[in-house]
Amino acid sequence: MYLLEYYASDHRLSRIDARLKLLVALIVLVMVLSYRGVGFQLLVASLSLTLIRSMKVPWRLFLLRFSEPLLIVLVVLLVKVFFSGHDPLFSFHVLGFQLTAYREGLEGGIVIGSRIMAAISLMAVLVYATPFPELMAALSWLKVPWGFIEILLYAYRYIFVLFEEAMVIYQAQKNRLGYANFRNRFSSFGVLAGSLILKAFEQSQTLSTAMVQRGYGGNMPLFQSRPLRFSEIFLSCLVVTAMGILWRI
Amino acid sequence: MVKVKSGFVVALISGLSIPQDAAAMHIAEGLLPFNWAALWFAVALPFFAWGLYLLNGRSREDLSFKPLVGLMAAVVFIISCMPIPVPFAGTCSHPCGTGISGILVGPAISVVITAAALVIQALFLVHGGLSTLGADIVSMGVMGSFTGFLTFRALRSVKVNMAAAAFMAGLFADWATYFMTSVELAAGIRGEAAFLPLFWKVLIAFIPTQLPLGILEGAMTAGMVMLLYKKRPDLLIKMRVIKAREVAVIGAVLIALTIFLSGVGPAEAAKWTGVDEAVIEKIAKEQGRETKDTLINMEQGDLPLFIFLVAGAMGGFAAGYYWRVLIVEKGPPRCRGRRETGPETSGKIKGS
Repeated sequence: MYLLEYYASDHRLSRIDARLKLLVALIVLVMVLSYRGVGFQLLVASLSLTLIRSMKVPWRLFLLRFSEPLLIVLVVLLVKVFFSGHDPLFSFHVLGFQLTAYREGLEGGIVIGSRIMAAISLMAVLVYATPFPELMAALSWLKVPWGFIEILLYAYRYIFVLFEEAMVIYQAQKNRLGYANFRNRFSSFGVLAGSLILKAFEQSQTLSTAMVQRGYGGNMPLFQSRPLRFSEIFLSCLVVTAMGILWRI
Repeated sequence: MVKVKSGFVVALISGLSIPQDAAAMHIAEGLLPFNWAALWFAVALPFFAWGLYLLNGRSREDLSFKPLVGLMAAVVFIISCMPIPVPFAGTCSHPCGTGISGILVGPAISVVITAAALVIQALFLVHGGLSTLGADIVSMGVMGSFTGFLTFRALRSVKVNMAAAAFMAGLFADWATYFMTSVELAAGIRGEAAFLPLFWKVLIAFIPTQLPLGILEGAMTAGMVMLLYKKRPDLLIKMRVIKAREVAVIGAVLIALTIFLSGVGPAEAAKWTGVDEAVIEKIAKEQGRETKDTLINMEQGDLPLFIFLVAGAMGGFAAGYYWRVLIVEKGPPRCRGRRETGPETSGKIKGS
C-alpha cells in the first residue's frame, strides 16, 4: 500500500487559501458532472494536467495516480461500446461469441471516460496544492461536522502508525511460513487484521489518556484560518465565472 | 442464453482489464453523472447523520471513544487496501472491512468510519472520489455495515456459534456491498439503455472475484472476532458485541466442570482399579494366594512427613555448602565481560 501524497509547496496555487481552492474545485466538479458533452470535460482535464505538470509531480506518482482511472475508463468504454445502443458500427467473433460495437455506446463511453479523467485530474490539482490539515480546515469552514473532521484527522495520523505495525506482523508471519498456502494465508490475514484492531484499541486508550492529561474534554480545538485576501477572492471568482461561461457554451 | 453469453464476455473483459488489486468496490471519481451522484449523497446523508449523532453521544460518555473510532477508520482503510489472493479467479482483490466495523461499533457509527476511510482513499489513493462518495458510502458503509451487523445479531440471537455468525456476517456484508455497487454502476452508466440487462451484466462481471472473496472475507471476519474473543473479551463487552453474562456463563461452566471433575475424581477412580488389582490380584486369588500387608506401611502415622523433613534438611545443607559453585561461579557470562563505554555502545557487553 502506498499513499500518493505529494505537496507542491513552491507552486503559486499552493499559496492560495485552501478554502477558496476547495470551493472552486467543488463548483467546477459539479459543472463537469452535469455537462452532457465532451468539450468542457476535456478542457478541464487538459488544464488540470498542465497544472499538475507545472507542479513538478514525480512521473512515478503521476502514473500511479492515473493508471487505475485509465483502466476504469477503458473497461467502461468497452462495456458501453459492446452492450449499449442499437446502431451497429462493426462486429467480430471472440471465443465463439459475436460482439457488436454500437455507435451510441461509443459516444456514451467517451462522455463517461472524459468525465472521469476531468474529475480525477481536477481533484489531483487540489490534493497536490493543499496539505491535508489545511484541507480539513477548509472542510470545517464549509460546515462539515467537526466530529467527522476529528475522525478524519485521527485516521490520517494513525494510518501510518498502524500500517507499520501491520508490516511488522506481516513480515513475522511470512518468515514463519504464514503465507505458504491458501489456508495459511487466510488464517494469517485474519490474525493480522484482528491484531490491528487490538492495536487500535490499545493506541486509542493511550492516545485519549495523553490527550486528557493535556486538557482534552471531548472536542479538539478548532483550526484558526487567516483572513481571505481580496486578490484570492477575485481570482477565484474569475476562474468560476470563466468556467461557468465555458460550461454554458 | 444471450444474456448469459454476453455476461460471460463482460466477466472476461473485466477479469482481463480491471486491476483487481485496486479498489474494485469503489466507484471512480466522475463515473456517476450529477443527478445520480446527488441522489446517492441524499440516501447516505441520514445514515451518516445518525452515525455522527450516536458517535457524539458515546464520546461524551467515554472520552476514548472518538479516538477509537478514528483508529478503526484507519484499520478499515488498511484492511480495504490489502490485496489477498482469490482462488479460482487467479488474482488478488481486497476485503471491505465494513462487516467487522459494523459488528464492533454498530452499523450507524460504522457508516461514519467508512466515510472517513473513503475520503482519505479518494484523496490519496484515487480509490473512489469525492463526487462518488455518497454512492460509495451507501454500498460499503450502509449496505456492508448494516448487513454485517444484522446478520451477526440475528444469528447470535438464535444461539449460532460466534465464529459461524461472524463468518456469515463477513460473507453477506461483502456480497451486499457488491450487489449495491452493481446497482449504482448500472444506474449511473446506463444512459438511455434499460437498467436490468446492464445490471445483470455488471453483477456477472463481479462474480469471478467477489464470490470467492466474500467467502474469504467471511473467514477473515470470523478470525478477527475469535481473536478478539480469545485475547480481549473485555473489549467485546465494552463494544456491546457480547454481554458480560455470556463470558460469566462460560467462566462459570468451566469452574463448575473443574469442581465436578475434581470432586468426583476419587470416587470415580475407585471404580477404575489398576492392573495390579484387576488382573494380578485376581489371578493370585484364583491360585489360592491371598494378599498380605506391606512391610512398611507409608500411609500410617507421620512417616512420610518425617522422610520429607530429613530430605529437606539434607538438600538445604548440600545447597548451602555448594552455594558458590551452583550460583556465583556458574553465573551468566556478563560477569566475565568488559563493559564498553561511550554513548552508542553503552549497555552493550563485549564478548557476550
